[in-house]
Amino acid sequence: MNKLEIDWTRCDGHGLCAGLVPDDILLDEWGFPVLRGREITAGELSDARRAVLACPALALRLNNR
Amino acid sequence: MITVDDTRVIGEARVLAGTDQGRLDLLRHRSTHGSLPALTRDDYTKLCEAVGLRGRGGAAFPVALKLQDLPARGVEAVVVNGSESEPVSRKDRLLLTRSPHLVLDGAVGLAHALGAPHVLIAVHDARAATSVREALMERDDRLAIEVQETPGRFVAGEARAVLSALEGGAAVPPGRRVLPTRKGYHRRPTFLSNVETFAQLAVLARLGSRGFSSTGLISEPGTQLLTIDGAVRRPGVIETPTGVPLDTVLQYSGAQAGPVLLGGYHGRWLQRTEGVTLQRPEVSAGIILALGSDTCPLGEITRVTQWLSSQSAGQCGPCVFGLAALVDDFARLTVGDPQGWHDAHRHLGLVPGRGACAHPDGTARFLTSALEEFDDDVQHHLTGQGCGRPVLGVLGGTR
Repeated sequence: MNKLEIDWTRCDGHGLCAGLVPDDILLDEWGFPVLRGREITAGELSDARRAVLACPALALRLNNR
Repeated sequence: MITVDDTRVIGEARVLAGTDQGRLDLLRHRSTHGSLPALTRDDYTKLCEAVGLRGRGGAAFPVALKLQDLPARGVEAVVVNGSESEPVSRKDRLLLTRSPHLVLDGAVGLAHALGAPHVLIAVHDARAATSVREALMERDDRLAIEVQETPGRFVAGEARAVLSALEGGAAVPPGRRVLPTRKGYHRRPTFLSNVETFAQLAVLARLGSRGFSSTGLISEPGTQLLTIDGAVRRPGVIETPTGVPLDTVLQYSGAQAGPVLLGGYHGRWLQRTEGVTLQRPEVSAGIILALGSDTCPLGEITRVTQWLSSQSAGQCGPCVFGLAALVDDFARLTVGDPQGWHDAHRHLGLVPGRGACAHPDGTARFLTSALEEFDDDVQHHLTGQGCGRPVLGVLGGTR
């Protein structure tokens, strides 16, 4: 069970994540991420990890509960 | 403006017993309630389970489940959340001001049962804090008990924000969703609940489950504290059995006919009140606001939204920008701009679930139910005519 999560107290709406995993993250009209909330499949895992590492605010997390 | 001097009871007075004669000092407390039996952790869990006691701070979480979630050893603290950050609510400061020993009995009894060395009482109201400090001088509980005054901002009353403030940090919710029962005060297991929950626990410990269940609903017996305000002749705090009809409370308080907001600023609107009974989770922290029929509903709702937006802790983008956008949407809708209506619906979909705490969710719930219940008013306003009524400010909000 891998899911993307956002720490909203950290997110500043840089928007890099939406460029890296466009199928899972969209940006709202203020530039903040909107998660599609679905599970990240094994094939998408490397892109999701890249997005987590790219977040300048360390706000994006991959939760594997 | 409600003062804590207006208290009333429908049915049997339990947590408010004796408060009609003024503040209960230790002597009067003991003669009114008797002494607190020493119960074990197992006793408390069984009692709470038997009567289905739920937290009285708004979320209505079952107390037995919270107790069961604590580890067997190493409970650090029992925290009494008396921040009462809902602007209309008066029940918690009333209990702390008039019957502080009952609340302390609940907290101290549970702390002894759990083996927790600390009891922390977070209070916002200065009079309530003084009353608790005076009460502590009269008793010796063999525990480290601390009273701390916390800021009065709306989100500062959120459980994890209170813990952060008690630890000396900022009174804002943290970004990670952790349970106080696992990582609470100083990241140690903590039992935290609302002031009234502890008063109910103290009553339950004395009465036992059968005595406690002699009034109220079968599913959730006992009494509850309600705060009623708005277009009513007699605003104030009322103790009633659980499940009392809303109409009874409205009539008793001399409420004007009209829509009612149930559950405070994060609550839901009701156009019709007949057949509605007051119980958790719908009644939330027990706040009932009567709107009456002389004021413009949309104007009132916009004022409350302005206030809610101003109370954002400013940590989370969707809350900061989303609530500000909703204020603007409702203001435009009120003057008849159809784009405001469309934008409000879009923004209400963008706000919930996107913050560190439930402030955006609660605000969206309030506004979504407003659009549903006041659809006729919305249509009137969208014709550009308005409803012809002034905005009286009966709900409070931006002053």
